[in-house]
Amino acid sequence: MEPALSLPRPTPFDTNVERGFKKAILRLVKGGPERLAIEAGEIDSIIDPANGRAILLPDAQRALIERKAGFRSLIGLAFDWYWEQDELYRFVSYRGAMDDPDGFAEEGIIGRALWDLSIDNMSETDWQTHRQQLEWRIIFRDLEIRRVNHAGEVRYFSISGEPIFDDREQFKGYRGVTREITERKEAETSVREQHRFAGAILDALGTPIAVLGQTGVVLSSNQAWRDFAATHSGVGTGVMTGCNYLAACDDARGVEQIDGMAIAAGIRQVIGGKRALFRYDYPCDSPAGRSWFALSVRGFTGNGEACAIVSCDDITDRKRGELLLGLEFTVARCLADSGTAAAALQSVIRVICETQGWDCGRYFCLDQSAGVLRFMESWGVPSAIVGQFLEKSRGMVFRPGAGLAGRVYQSGQPLWTGATPGAGVSSMALAPETGEDGGCVFPVTTGDTVIGVLAFSGSHVREPDDRMLQAVRSIGSQLGQFLRRQKATDALRRSEKRFRVLNDLASDWYWEQDSDFRFTQIAGCSAFGTADILGMTHWDLPNVVPADAGWAEHKSQLAARWSFCDFEFATVLSDGRHAYYSICGEPVYDEAGIFTGYCGTGTDITKRKRVEIALRENEARLRALVEPSPTLSAR
Amino acid sequence: MARKRKGHGASNPAVSTAVVMVLYVTDSGPNSVRAIANLEAICKEHLNGNFRLEIIDVLEYPLRALADGVVVTPSLAKLFPLPAATVVGNLSDRGGVLRALGIVE
Repeated sequence: MEPALSLPRPTPFDTNVERGFKKAILRLVKGGPERLAIEAGEIDSIIDPANGRAILLPDAQRALIERKAGFRSLIGLAFDWYWEQDELYRFVSYRGAMDDPDGFAEEGIIGRALWDLSIDNMSETDWQTHRQQLEWRIIFRDLEIRRVNHAGEVRYFSISGEPIFDDREQFKGYRGVTREITERKEAETSVREQHRFAGAILDALGTPIAVLGQTGVVLSSNQAWRDFAATHSGVGTGVMTGCNYLAACDDARGVEQIDGMAIAAGIRQVIGGKRALFRYDYPCDSPAGRSWFALSVRGFTGNGEACAIVSCDDITDRKRGELLLGLEFTVARCLADSGTAAAALQSVIRVICETQGWDCGRYFCLDQSAGVLRFMESWGVPSAIVGQFLEKSRGMVFRPGAGLAGRVYQSGQPLWTGATPGAGVSSMALAPETGEDGGCVFPVTTGDTVIGVLAFSGSHVREPDDRMLQAVRSIGSQLGQFLRRQKATDALRRSEKRFRVLNDLASDWYWEQDSDFRFTQIAGCSAFGTADILGMTHWDLPNVVPADAGWAEHKSQLAARWSFCDFEFATVLSDGRHAYYSICGEPVYDEAGIFTGYCGTGTDITKRKRVEIALRENEARLRALVEPSPTLSAR
Repeated sequence: MARKRKGHGASNPAVSTAVVMVLYVTDSGPNSVRAIANLEAICKEHLNGNFRLEIIDVLEYPLRALADGVVVTPSLAKLFPLPAATVVGNLSDRGGVLRALGIVE
C-alpha cells in the first residue's frame, strides 16, 4: 500500500497581505469542508462563483510561477531564441541566447519581417511559399536559413513558429523559436563531402559496385554499376539505388530463375554472416549473343548494420576464351577417337555447331586433280530446313575465288556473313550458299596449304574476335593435319593390303622369328602345325634335312644379319619321301636400331624339287645308257 | 488539462460496478499534484481498474467547474454509484476518500 502523500504543514497567510487574502477568499467559501481544507492548506484555488475563474492561493501561485520559469528555462535549453511577431509578421519580441550574441540583433530585427533580414539561402519563390504558409496561419517547423554576420561568418538557423489568436479567435501574429544549427550544418557538409569523396572513389573504380543494406536495398552504387545497367541485361542488372536487389533476384523468371535464386541465397548468406564471400558466374542470352557475368558478394558491417558489397564483371571474353579452348580440346579428342576422316569431320562439325550455337556445318574438300572444292561431309541440327539446306549442298562445287568457300580457299583467311556491319560480305547475296541467317567459313590447312574449308551456318553467327580467329585457325590446322595423316594412313593401308595380296600370291606362308631365330608367328603354313613349331628354329623342325652340319652356312648368314633368299631345306615325311621348302628372310630392327629377329616367307617347292630330282635321275639314266660303260670300253 | 482514465476491468469482487469520478485540479498546483497521486494510489489498491476518472483543470475549463458546482480545487466528485459524494483537499485523508467512494463503510 502506497502511503498517502501530504504536503508538509504549510504556513499560509503568514504575511499581512496573505492574511487579508485569506479573509477575502473565506468570504467566498461557505461550506465547512472547504473551509477546513483551506485552513489545512490543502487547497490550490477557489472558483469565483461570479465568472468561474480560479483564484489561485499563494502556494499554488508560486508553484505555477516556478513551473513557468522552469519551462522557460527548458525552452532556453532547447532553443537559442524565442520570438513573437505581430499580425504583419514583424518581430515584436526577440530574446534568448543570452540576449543574442551573433543572432539577428546586430542588424536590428525588431520591427522587421523575416524576409527583410539578410538571409542568403532563400529565393523569392521560397519566401512566397513561406508567406503563403503564414497567410494560411499554419504552424511551420524547421525553416532553415543562412546568413553571413558582420564578422563574415556563415551561420545557419532553424526557425519554427505557430500562429497566435486572441480570445475572439482574431489572428495576432506568430510566435516561435530559433535554433542555431551552424555546427550541425557544417557536420552535414563534412559528412556530405566525405560521402562525395567516397562516391568519387567508387566511381573511379571500373568494376560495377553496389552496396546492399540488410534487406537487400541498394544503398549506393558507382558510375560503372549505372553504366553496366545501361548496356547489359541479366539477373539483378539495372537495380538502382533505393531499389531492392534481393527482390529483383527473387523475381527473376524463365531461364534466369535458377541463377536469381542462387544469387539471392548467396547474398542472404553473406548478409546473415554465414559466409564472408560469395562468387557466382552466370550467363545471359540477348539478341547480341550470350554474355557471361561474374558476381562477387562480400560482407561488411556499415553503420552497425550488416551490409554486402556486390560487384559484377562482364567475363564474356574470358568465358568465350575458355569455351574456345575447351572446343579446341574437344576437337582434338574427336580426332583422336575417330577412325575415319568422315567420322572425324562429322564429330568435329557437330561439336563446333553445338558449342557455338550454329545450325549446321559442311566440309568442302579440295579435289586436287580438278582444282575445285567439293562437298565431302556435313552435320546439322535435326530440322527440315537444315536438312534441305544440307541436301542442296551435296552437289556444290566451288572454284578458287568463287563463292564464300572459294574465296576462303584462295585467301586462306576466314570469312563470315551476318547482321554485323562491316563484315564485308552481304549475307543475302550468299544466302543460297550460307543460309539466310549468316555463315562462317574458315580454312582447313596443313602447314601453309589449304586443303579444304569448313562452312557453318546459323542464326548466332557473329563477327569473330581475335580469340575466335585463333581458335578456328587452330581447329583448321588440327583437322588439316588429321586429314592429311588419315589420307597417308589410308594410302599406306591400301598399299599394305596390295602388298599382302601380292605376297600371298608369291609365297605360301609368312613367318617371323625373334632374335634367337625362334618362330614367333607363322601365317598360311599348311606344311607344319603352327602351334607345334612356335618357339622352334628352322633347323629344329621335325625330320629336317640337312642335319646340323648342313645349316652352318645359313646360320652364319643369320648371325651376320644378312638377308637370305631361296634357302632350301627338306623334311622327311612319314612315307619316307622328302618334302622341300624354300625360305626367304630379312632381319628386323626396332626404332632404336636393335635387332629383334627375322621375318620372311616360305614356299612349298616339293613338286618342283621332285620333278627336278626325277629329271636328274632320268638324265643320269639316259646318260648311263648313252655313254659306254668303262668296263665295256675296257673290253 | 482534461484527462480521462479508465480501469482495465473489475477483478475485485467487493467492487462490482465501476466507480465514476471527476477530479478538479489547478494545473500543477502542489495540492492538485498530490491529490492526483493519492487518488491514483487508492484506485490502484482498492478499485483494481474498475473505475473511470476524469481530471479537469479548472484553469483550462473554468466554466466546467462552475457548472459542476465545484468551489475549491482539488475536489473529487464521485458520480457513480449513487449516492454522489464530494471530497475536497489533496486526498491525503485516505479513510475519508474510501468512505466517499463507498469502498468502506
